[in-house]
Amino acid sequence: MLDLKLEDIDGILVRYNVALEKEMTPDEAAEELYPKDELIYPIAKSIYEGEEDDVVDGLKAAIAAGKKPIDLINDALMVGMGVVSKLYDDGIIFLPNVMMSADAMLNGIEYCKSQTTEVPEPKGTVVCHVAEGDVHDIGKNIVAALLRAAGYDVTDLGRDVPVDEVIEAVVKEKPILLTGTALMTTTMYAFKEINDKLLEKGLKLPFACGGGAVNQDFVAQYDLGVYGEEASDAVKIADAIIASGNDIEKLRAEFHKH
Amino acid sequence: MVKKYTSMAYAKADDMLFGNAKFPVKAGLGLEIGAGFTTPELNYAPRPQAGKSKDKLVKEYERITTDAMARMVQIGAPSIVLETEHVEQMSNNPEWGGAVAHAQKTIMEEYHDEYGIKCALRHTIGDIREDRDYLQLRGDKYTTFMEAFEQCAQNGADLLSVESMGGKEVFDYSILRNDTAGILFGIGVLGSMDMEMIWSDIADIAKKNGVVAAGDTDCAQANTAMFIAGGLLDKNLAHTTAIVARAISAARSLCAYESGATGPGKDCGYENTIIKSISGVPIAQEGKTSTCAHSDLMGNLTMQCCDLWSNESVEYHGEFGGTTVQCWSETLAYDCAMMNTSLKLGKGKDLRDILALSDKYRDPQGYVLAYDNAYKVGQAIAKDGNNNYLRSKNAAIECCNIVETGINSGKLKLTRFETNALAKVKADLVALTDDADKFMSENLTKFKQEVAVFRPENYGL
Repeated sequence: MLDLKLEDIDGILVRYNVALEKEMTPDEAAEELYPKDELIYPIAKSIYEGEEDDVVDGLKAAIAAGKKPIDLINDALMVGMGVVSKLYDDGIIFLPNVMMSADAMLNGIEYCKSQTTEVPEPKGTVVCHVAEGDVHDIGKNIVAALLRAAGYDVTDLGRDVPVDEVIEAVVKEKPILLTGTALMTTTMYAFKEINDKLLEKGLKLPFACGGGAVNQDFVAQYDLGVYGEEASDAVKIADAIIASGNDIEKLRAEFHKH
Repeated sequence: MVKKYTSMAYAKADDMLFGNAKFPVKAGLGLEIGAGFTTPELNYAPRPQAGKSKDKLVKEYERITTDAMARMVQIGAPSIVLETEHVEQMSNNPEWGGAVAHAQKTIMEEYHDEYGIKCALRHTIGDIREDRDYLQLRGDKYTTFMEAFEQCAQNGADLLSVESMGGKEVFDYSILRNDTAGILFGIGVLGSMDMEMIWSDIADIAKKNGVVAAGDTDCAQANTAMFIAGGLLDKNLAHTTAIVARAISAARSLCAYESGATGPGKDCGYENTIIKSISGVPIAQEGKTSTCAHSDLMGNLTMQCCDLWSNESVEYHGEFGGTTVQCWSETLAYDCAMMNTSLKLGKGKDLRDILALSDKYRDPQGYVLAYDNAYKVGQAIAKDGNNNYLRSKNAAIECCNIVETGINSGKLKLTRFETNALAKVKADLVALTDDADKFMSENLTKFKQEVAVFRPENYGL
């Protein structure tokens, strides 16, 4: 096989990711972000490391020292997940780390709930689904995990969800946001039907859509649609709704990048 | 009858070349694939509203077929393959798929009769074997699934394919958690078991109807990894992890050809160069011409050993230069004309190397799939070809070794994150047992507990 000389390769392609890689390791970056409280620190660190058993051990120690289980959800678990989310947003850690941390955090929340009769207050509810006729759900699973990791209560309707079932869930759950993902051109047409039925019922909420065949031009065709290019955009859209309301034109101005 | 590959089709990597397969395949209307020239393979998706009824779908595919065939004769292309990847309605209602195949083939026959253009129709059946909550690989849907192949074969499809989903439930869970054993279990073990079952049946249908059992792709798993990994700056999955999944997928997709398929393999099977090295079957590939569907970091390299050159998929609609199927079929045809010219001039191997080298050092995925390295992965698979688990593990370890060699040469530059991910995957792999039964037993227990949607009965377990 012919080959290139080492010195010739940079003129053909540039590994921008290698050139721009941050000096600090992920562990070092995380260490700078952990809370200093000696009871909270091990919980946050265990979340970052995705160690479910260590998270529960940390929670047990904090509760034994007098911390209230309900407070530990926001003051320890969400703080630890916040470290993970920041490192992900900054490009220091990758998605599998976030998924493992989210598993550990959710396990911790369940433990806290089991230790109290108080009910935690979520930031808001988001209903997630995969379009009717479409069974490709890895994107939706990432969206749901990232939303939960950010403190949202997620109603996950699963995949291949009939249009009317989505409408019923919106009526019942009163979410701040509905998300829909689809891989196929023919299945994403269900998004428009959902949009029309929601409007018929007078339900006006942002409907964040994304996935394989879905593009901004298609989503912009229906009134409630907000296009999400990346799974992590779902969290950003939900955060924007909490911060500034659910005006769809404003959301489109922020998230429609093309 | 499953006959496993335990040796290589080619004596050396340098013997592999685009447009040339050791075992060419005759299909459709005067076409021979891998017989000394390349042919464009056009792929397309109907517009969203076209799925509302059978009549609308048939009409949409008639428009697509007519547009594409007309453009091919307008520019003097000698041959074309059309690939219809079923939308779910066409596979869940087999008569819909049959009606579309019939409508398309009728138009293709008219063009063949009038102009002599060589052509063939591939139908890729949707893997509909699932319900809302679970894969249902062996349940009631299997009958419908096979009927979809039958209807297409009876009504005009020349090449039968599928993008099968076996093992995906375990893989999806594992890839998002860096679980190396799970990736290997999902693709290399469960995926292979399912492939052996379905491809024996598909091959029987093809034989009965006088058509070609073409091949599969690990789109559902290895491409999922590749897409999550994304571009150089994306931070979702290490590209070194993604290429290990790809190497394993070669051991898995090879099962189609061991169960009666003869090629051409599916375009989005980026593992196909490895498979060609072992089996000698013709392959379809996609790269720079599939940017209409996705980005893959190896747009030229994938042409290196292709026999069909594809655009992956494009939604049917208008562009300045005609409809999308006209624009993309034309682009594909000019690429094929370039490859075919190089073959006639005796410069094919030079062009092959230029194509491969233009991407080889861009990313670990292209590096391993460059034909010289792909051949080495093929050898690792063939070494233990009779054992689906061991050959998958061999492929994964060889993939890690190849990437390490690239790093050590200084030519393949990776971030620390990617080298760390590579070290983790390799350490995980080296620690695995060589005993397939033990691996199966351990992982069955583990994933029954961890993955709620995993049902061993889908695999006869």
